[in-house]
Amino acid sequence: MTSLTFRPRIPVFDANVRVGDLSGQPAPCRDRAALLAEMDRHGAERAVIYHALTEEVSPVEGNLLLEPWLGTDGRLVPQWSIMPTPASLAQVQGLHRQGRVTSVRLHDTRVAGLPFRPWAYDPLLAWLSAQRIPVWIPLPGADADELVTTLQGHPDLVTVLVGAHYTHHLQVRPLLTRLSNAHLELSRYEPIGEIEALRDEFGAHRLVYGSWYSQYAMGPMLFYLHHTDLSEEELALVCAGNLERILGADPNNQLGPVSDRARHGQEPDHSSRVAP
Amino acid sequence: MIDGVQVIDFHGHVGRWDRYGMNDEPARMWHAMDAAGIDRACVFNIFHPDGTTGNDLTAAFVAQHPGRFIGFAYVSPLMPERVLPELSRALDGLGFAAIKLYSPYTPWPLNEPPWEPIYRFADARGLTIIMHTGSEPQALPKLVGEVAPRYPHANFVMGHSGNTPVERGQAIAAAQANPNVYLETCSTFRSPGVIEQLVNEAGADRVLYGSDLPLMDPRPQLGKIITAQLSDAARRQILGDNARRLLRLKS
Repeated sequence: MTSLTFRPRIPVFDANVRVGDLSGQPAPCRDRAALLAEMDRHGAERAVIYHALTEEVSPVEGNLLLEPWLGTDGRLVPQWSIMPTPASLAQVQGLHRQGRVTSVRLHDTRVAGLPFRPWAYDPLLAWLSAQRIPVWIPLPGADADELVTTLQGHPDLVTVLVGAHYTHHLQVRPLLTRLSNAHLELSRYEPIGEIEALRDEFGAHRLVYGSWYSQYAMGPMLFYLHHTDLSEEELALVCAGNLERILGADPNNQLGPVSDRARHGQEPDHSSRVAP
Repeated sequence: MIDGVQVIDFHGHVGRWDRYGMNDEPARMWHAMDAAGIDRACVFNIFHPDGTTGNDLTAAFVAQHPGRFIGFAYVSPLMPERVLPELSRALDGLGFAAIKLYSPYTPWPLNEPPWEPIYRFADARGLTIIMHTGSEPQALPKLVGEVAPRYPHANFVMGHSGNTPVERGQAIAAAQANPNVYLETCSTFRSPGVIEQLVNEAGADRVLYGSDLPLMDPRPQLGKIITAQLSDAARRQILGDNARRLLRLKS
């Protein structure tokens, strides 16, 4: 039942939050306390955060600016940005030795001046794969052909494809088909009925809720997910469980596509669905 | 229906745009609408410059699903001789409730003479026009702000409210200056605070919920309104009351 007010009914772990200012766009939340207040308003318990400076200027400097946001309560989980330079790799490898790396992010793989090709990215991707570090890749800055060509050389590498827009509609299914370890982050993916359709075709375990706050508002996609016909189990996976699994926190929560579940007698119990 | 409000989506399409996943399969549209409590959607077809072809498709679509969809007439000054006869046919014969314009498909900005016959038609009948607005030079919101005072009996709804920040500012300024200018909310630019800005600066009585369905799912666009920091009274106006007033809906 839709109401004029909305609160999520399951725990929420946002996979995609940007903190800090872009050079031409000050962030609405000026500090950690303000971000936590915004998350509280929308019912998000935890979030993976990266710094805006890493996206626009420097992964190395931007990662340093992430520290004051983190705190000690575990609500904000750092995502370190990386690029295939010695300084960037050394920084993230140092953090990894400290046990502080659960995911990394590659920005603008198409426009950074270095094609996302095996000859340019293989050493970095091989290290990430060997260390079982998942990588977030924004689709607006990526070339689909380069993604498939390059990532297929690293079949164990777990990826989260971020920010698909309706203009990426024709790419999404081939990408999820060709890249079996890829997940789709949903912050901007709005073609009609596609959440349910992708759930049916690929399984809820391939979908991850992210808001991409502060580029986008935190609430609309959460509202959307709560008004689909996803089962409660699937909703919990998309809103938190899959991200926990990807980050290494819970390896067991996984649902396959409808066809696989039916084949293996694992069809979830839809009688527990809450009417939207 | 949401908490007693009949929810009306003011911005929808008829037709397919496969490269973007747009598919006007009714079951898919109903499912999305029903799942979130959206009662009715206004629809139009903008892909045919003759007007007639698209309007007939819209009429057939609406006729198959009475009560759920409201047809709007589309015309283009690319075929100027057809504009007024087609508007009369669509409004009087097909029972459409308002007019849709999409200036990026033409070379003419919205304040140029080729659009004036349409504005005069709407003004004479007290009709509502929804027009795409954005950063395209033909569709800048400030152009609507120039046109609106010349046609005080027509209402002008700016689709997407200009879409991006600079153009959004133009749209708000046009609404502030003209009582017959309204702001419609659909956009994939879902920046934090946008809905609050529209309401705080133009007034809740001037903002209309729209989604661009079936190009976009109406649910996240509805979520923009529900999760914004607004009063329930403002949400009621945006989700349905304003649309009912503009379209003079009795039921």
